[in-house]
Amino acid sequence: MRRAALALAIASSGALRLAAQQPDVAARLNGRVPAEVVPAVAGVAASAASRGLPVEPLIQKAIEGGAKGRPAQQVIAAVRALADQLGAASGALRSGGFDHADADLVEGGAYALGAGLSVRQVQHLARASRPPYEPALTLRVAGTLAALGVPPKNTLDLVEGLINAGRSPSDLLDLPSEVQAGVARGATPAQAADGLARAAAHAPGSGPPGGVPPGQAKGHGNPHKP
Amino acid sequence: MTQAYHQLVKRLLDGELSLSDLPPELRAEGAEALRLLGAVDRTPVLLPLQLDARVMAEVRRRARSPVRRAWRRLVEPRDVELRLRVRPWVVWGGALAAAATVALLLAWPPASPGRIRPVRVAARDSVYVRFVLYAPGAKQVAVAGTFNQWDQNAARLVRLGADGIWTITLALPQGQHQYAFVVDGQRWVPDPAAPGIDDGFGRRNSVVAVTAHGARTL
Repeated sequence: MRRAALALAIASSGALRLAAQQPDVAARLNGRVPAEVVPAVAGVAASAASRGLPVEPLIQKAIEGGAKGRPAQQVIAAVRALADQLGAASGALRSGGFDHADADLVEGGAYALGAGLSVRQVQHLARASRPPYEPALTLRVAGTLAALGVPPKNTLDLVEGLINAGRSPSDLLDLPSEVQAGVARGATPAQAADGLARAAAHAPGSGPPGGVPPGQAKGHGNPHKP
Repeated sequence: MTQAYHQLVKRLLDGELSLSDLPPELRAEGAEALRLLGAVDRTPVLLPLQLDARVMAEVRRRARSPVRRAWRRLVEPRDVELRLRVRPWVVWGGALAAAATVALLLAWPPASPGRIRPVRVAARDSVYVRFVLYAPGAKQVAVAGTFNQWDQNAARLVRLGADGIWTITLALPQGQHQYAFVVDGQRWVPDPAAPGIDDGFGRRNSVVAVTAHGARTL
């Protein structure tokens, strides 16, 4: 009986929260999207919220569609597709050990999935992103690389290789523009990514972040020490 | 000045024990306590005969005041009998509603100027990002994206001379943003200098990552 009461209380809480969110979504969409889009997106947002998914990207997508003058059905379809991606990302992260993935991470996962990475690749990259790398950022970079045409496997190798080499998160952010530069010089996205992965593996000082480079377990002193 | 007497001395003062019942080390203390008690002036206090009459006259005068009567009516406690006949499901329903309210209060996010993402990230440091587009035939160019709710009137670029180069510098919150240029209020154009991704509407958005170290065309 107690369990039933608790379940009902939690369900009531969720229902009340959803009810409270409805006017918020509608208020933000009114006048910015075709009228028929408002209830449809509010429904999608309510469903997403009930599953613990971030709602803000859905609202943004609807606003984007409205601003671009897209037809109502196309806006609704885009919002639904994004909701599906967020749900898939959330599920992938949860089954990958991220029980309490925050909105940024779920959005990053959805972005990567939308760009063509698989669920397993998203899980793998999220797990590989130990500090100082943020999993959400890693997934967004990987998603952008995939969007640039780098095959998912090469994307995985490049990003993970850079992390294992102990390069900075700033270097991670530079990857898409470096791939673009390689493509501008005539390489395919895969070739550009492979070249960058090889360079990262052989870069001086490469090694796991905060760790000891392979083969140097016994220190020989700091060569830069005066 | 107060003095804490031993428990046995207190019983002596209460008449429960005699001085000889006390252990030798307490007898001096007991004798002193008895001496002080005996010195207390126990003469009965005689009140003047008119006192009762004066007090009662004052009480009657106050009781007659209409303001006081009204005030008393308002604040005096009264016995109110309330009879309710409730069915068990009503009790359970009330209990569940109360539980739901508590759960709601516990789960509700803290009040903030807003729950939308831009407000949250705006609390972080912003970074100035320069947008440039080469559009020689354009009469008007704007940039719209997730950072300005896709409002094509929020950030209009400025033409640099007659070369067709349009530019604007915006302070963007840290994070990843999608955007596009809007040429002449109609044509949505991705940034040719930035990676693009499918926008879900059959076109492409450009992507920029803003970090504390600057912006990358992510």
